[in-house]
Amino acid sequence: MSYYIYTLFFFFFVYFILAMGLNIQFGQTGILNFAYIGFVAVGAYVTGATSLPASNTGIGTGQHYILGMNLPFPFNLLMGGIVASVLAVFVSFIALRRLRTDYLAMVLISLSLVLYDIINNFVPLFNGPDGLYNIPEPMVGVFHLTSNQFVGFFAAVTGLISLILWWFMSRITKSPLGRTFRAIRDDPGVASALGKNVIKYQLISMIIGAFFAGIGGGLIIQFGSSFNTSAWLPGETFVVFAVIIVGGVGNNLGMLVGSLLVETLLVHLPAFLPDIPGHTGLIQYIDAMLIGILLWVMLWFRPQGMVPEKVPTTEKLLKKFGRFQEPETISSTTTQTASTEVTQ
Amino acid sequence: MTTDNIDVESIILSCSGLKKSFMGVTAVNGATFDVPRGLITALIGPNGAGKTTVVNMLSGMMKSDEGTMHIGFTDVTNWPDYKIASMGLMRTFQLSRELSGLSVLENLLVAPRVQAGESLFNIFFRPGRTKREEGDNIERAIGILKTYGLYDLRDNRANALSGGQKKLLEIARGVMANPAILLLDEPMAGVNPALIDQIGEYIIDLKNQGMTILMIEHNLNIVEKICDHVIVLAEGRTLATGRLSELRANEAVIRAYLGEVINAGPQS
Repeated sequence: MSYYIYTLFFFFFVYFILAMGLNIQFGQTGILNFAYIGFVAVGAYVTGATSLPASNTGIGTGQHYILGMNLPFPFNLLMGGIVASVLAVFVSFIALRRLRTDYLAMVLISLSLVLYDIINNFVPLFNGPDGLYNIPEPMVGVFHLTSNQFVGFFAAVTGLISLILWWFMSRITKSPLGRTFRAIRDDPGVASALGKNVIKYQLISMIIGAFFAGIGGGLIIQFGSSFNTSAWLPGETFVVFAVIIVGGVGNNLGMLVGSLLVETLLVHLPAFLPDIPGHTGLIQYIDAMLIGILLWVMLWFRPQGMVPEKVPTTEKLLKKFGRFQEPETISSTTTQTASTEVTQ
Repeated sequence: MTTDNIDVESIILSCSGLKKSFMGVTAVNGATFDVPRGLITALIGPNGAGKTTVVNMLSGMMKSDEGTMHIGFTDVTNWPDYKIASMGLMRTFQLSRELSGLSVLENLLVAPRVQAGESLFNIFFRPGRTKREEGDNIERAIGILKTYGLYDLRDNRANALSGGQKKLLEIARGVMANPAILLLDEPMAGVNPALIDQIGEYIIDLKNQGMTILMIEHNLNIVEKICDHVIVLAEGRTLATGRLSELRANEAVIRAYLGEVINAGPQS
């Protein structure tokens, strides 16, 4: 039983991380990244492969892959994040420079299909359709954990990582950089006219988001010790979209709520329910339908999500930057300038 | 027909032989003019004269087919818009384009061209500098919002503003960027008469602060009142330049405005 609860917690934290990554790309900067799951997969494969020894030695025997270098945790995880970011640079150079919105989305969804086909069919890369398995469970040796204890332990580690990444992401979204991202989302033409190099900022946003995707993927492969192409069908991207739309596009806290509602309660909890007699696997199909219906209901009745994006108030900003004055002084300056105000 | 004596040093923005056509339709056909530094210049002309296309090319939002553009002595022909903005040329839009999801205050805060807090490195490794600069920007933005009568709306989302307020926000955002040249694309279109006078005063204030203004405007009364220099475009060409009082006597200008057949070539 505790195993199931820990698993739920693990996926709750991982999808929180994944949702934050997609949120900065789509929710903050307006890049409709339909290839997101591809970055998750690259992070997973690279994390897995770098934690294994070189191909066909030791526990890697029988698998074909590149980048086997026996890296200990968390360096393998960082590698996963970094390689996903590097992929984002390449993708951005091809796609962002010329394409906008819908067309960009179409190119990105084809990219995720291409990536899928390459990894699925080109065995020497990441072992083809069999995927990587026997990935070492991180830090088990250090703490002498049983495999049941490992599940709880790793869920906690993931929680900690998600908190660190949340802090990191909040710093970005509340900074002038985050504001420029949102300006680009609202109107790239205006942002550009204001002197913002739109492609540069979109690239930065893609890199940050892809790093989060890579870390999330890396955590997934280490949690389950294996990862193959069935885990990242291109449609999986839309589960992450469902998380951020339900949670509240643009709001980091919303990602936490979205991850709880969609990923934990809708995607993973029903998987532990007993089968309906005579209808094996029916639950998982009902589940997929429920996600679609939820997405539809949210977009129709509450498109801003459960925790809508907020704009910071002037007072809050003044306090944050240590420029807050007592209300008396502010009101006196207001009356001075009131004569110049326009009556409409 | 250059009626006033502008010497070369006092020209801040100039274009020469600008051409642009859309799918075979010529919108701008050899527009050539100079914008004097520190004055208010109006760009007038009948509908379809190519005024907005010229402004789009000057601000880098559109590439010209032919011709050259200079800001000061720098050749900025076909530079991308964000680079032209970094040279100190800021524009507003004919139909207000507010950043709808940002608050009114944030709309202004986006505008400063170089911000320390826009770099990932500074956010995490130079937080003091980012904080100081952001604090200064917030105070300056509040000052501008008060001047433009938008202070009470500071925490509203920009998409909640009225048409007139959006016009003011456009100008305020441009001013926040502290540009050397401000291009205003019909700042008074669709605005009530009282606000027109108010905007006129704001523009004169900006000139007194040393800003160069180039504005597209149809209302000749306001042009007469506040503009020092006028450029008349017709059929994508510069028809005449000078003071409005002189241009009122110019037959080609009268014909262009009355909509008669214009075959006058570029006379500048």
